[in-house]
Amino acid sequence: MAGRMPDPGFFVGYLNSVPRPLAIFLVVGAAVLVGSMAGLAFALGTNVNDPGDGTFARKLGKQEMSGILVENPYPILRVRPDAKNPEARTVMLTVPGKRSVKRRGRKLFDQLVDVKGFMFQRGDIDMLQVQGKNSLKAVEVAEGETPPEFTPAPAESLGRWRLIGEICDSKCHLGAMRPGDGLAHKACANLCISSGAPPIFVTAEEGAVEGETFLLMANEDGGPLPDHFGDYVAVLVQLEGEVERLDDLLVFKVDIDATKVF
Amino acid sequence: MSVRYAPVGWNRNKIIYDVVVLAAAVAYILLFIKIAPSFQDVTKPTSGAILRAQAFGTCAFLMLTFILCIGPLARLDQRFLPLLYNRRHFGVITCAIAFTHATHVVSIYYSFSPLNKYVAVLASNTSYDRFLGFPFETFGIFALFLLLVLAATSHDFWLRFLTPPIWKAIHLSVYVAYAAIVCHVALGSLQAKQSPLLAVIVGLSVVAVTGLHLVAGRIERQKDRDTAESADEAPWVVAGHVDSVPDGRGIVVPLEGGERVAVFRYGDKLSALANVCAHQNGPLGEGRIMDGCVTCPWHGFQYRPEDGCSPPPFTEKVATYRLKLDGRRILLDPRANEPGTYVEPVRVTEA
Repeated sequence: MAGRMPDPGFFVGYLNSVPRPLAIFLVVGAAVLVGSMAGLAFALGTNVNDPGDGTFARKLGKQEMSGILVENPYPILRVRPDAKNPEARTVMLTVPGKRSVKRRGRKLFDQLVDVKGFMFQRGDIDMLQVQGKNSLKAVEVAEGETPPEFTPAPAESLGRWRLIGEICDSKCHLGAMRPGDGLAHKACANLCISSGAPPIFVTAEEGAVEGETFLLMANEDGGPLPDHFGDYVAVLVQLEGEVERLDDLLVFKVDIDATKVF
Repeated sequence: MSVRYAPVGWNRNKIIYDVVVLAAAVAYILLFIKIAPSFQDVTKPTSGAILRAQAFGTCAFLMLTFILCIGPLARLDQRFLPLLYNRRHFGVITCAIAFTHATHVVSIYYSFSPLNKYVAVLASNTSYDRFLGFPFETFGIFALFLLLVLAATSHDFWLRFLTPPIWKAIHLSVYVAYAAIVCHVALGSLQAKQSPLLAVIVGLSVVAVTGLHLVAGRIERQKDRDTAESADEAPWVVAGHVDSVPDGRGIVVPLEGGERVAVFRYGDKLSALANVCAHQNGPLGEGRIMDGCVTCPWHGFQYRPEDGCSPPPFTEKVATYRLKLDGRRILLDPRANEPGTYVEPVRVTEA
């Protein structure tokens, strides 16, 4: 289909020559396309939400701690104070991937255990990712030695609270993903929580409860949240319930029926 | 035009077209994931995998917006017609970018759980009964499915196999895909953004696509309203004036019932063909005479004006129409002949 163009303004794709005025127009158009895409990339790429300071603190190295492994509402470690960390702490636990510690710890709940792993940290809340061989095991006592004793402090009630904020999965929000919140992350958060990651409540107002923004969630009886609570994840909700302090960790025991979505 | 199906009938213009589209996509993605993060006002940077998913997702949306603007722009200004020529490659590249976005999202958000990652895509959020929190991923999956179907059937083999009307109908679903992507973005990323920039860009994109289509459609409807008047003698209608048809070009004559006929002048001859190209329904009347053939402005398919047949070895055919002259008036018989029917051209004498 070779042939001469009858008109300088007519473009036929399979003919390699392009009329000059049209060629100039197309070169300008191509530059506008590439330039506008570059401009939009820069504009959209710089206009992002601040995902916070959550981080997987691998550079801190592998952490070792011992304490009482608690199953409910979600696996936590009531850390036994030692010379290095004299203050009592409570640390949420996770394992690599979207999985629960429950399976690995099923025979160790309410026992004194040694735990190794890496920390997730956001603000003053942290979480230990149990990782590696023999990283969760009962405290070993050498023959002839007295088994160490440790009784965590009882939960301290902080009263009933009505709070506004967002339900997130602790692992992503504390640094497995940035951002680890919001509706774009809802399905991931649901999957993490249903797979056993502890859900946390992030208050809309910073430091809303005794200066704390992050609260581990539980149902009214102190057990895990019901499955249908996934509908309320990642949206702005108002929750009511009792808040308890476990060392440095707050637990929000929510009244499921009082949940409101904004 | 082709009688055998090659994977891609490359030529210089197609290569240049693809290079420009790829340059735009690569510039977008590299700027988004390599340069822009240095200018973000954040405590800690967005995770790399999420940034890549955002880059590919927004790039696919913007590219699809450009693609959908090409059609009406070409109707409004013929200088945009070359963008139509290789638009299918633009579409396939866009589909590949959308697919990359989806694979990133699945590997970030849905992997590493006891549930199969593809099952998790559909099962992890089932809040279909509410607006905020609606599983916007469903719209994305649906749009990606349509884009994959369109990309897979974009080759001329499928055009021939399915026939142009069916192929065209299938490929109009690109608008459904675009609507689904807008819903996907509106119920997902837009709800999570604190800055209104993305909302503004999505809004302007939708306004551009719908606005250009409405304006182009209105102009087309106005043209269709000016149907050819009946001549004194039935069934002839007045197609125009000899002097209104420039040599080597055509005029488009709208008929009652919505049909359009292309009347071409080439030297001292006039012939009439259906205005719709057999390839992709391009407007033949806006084409030119090249090598003695009517040449479609969209992809350069050619037809002999006397019989509506593509020159050998090509086999495409369009309907022809009878013409006659009444002084300087061109009269047209609005009854279409079978595609490929020879009709003796009308001879024009100089006024």
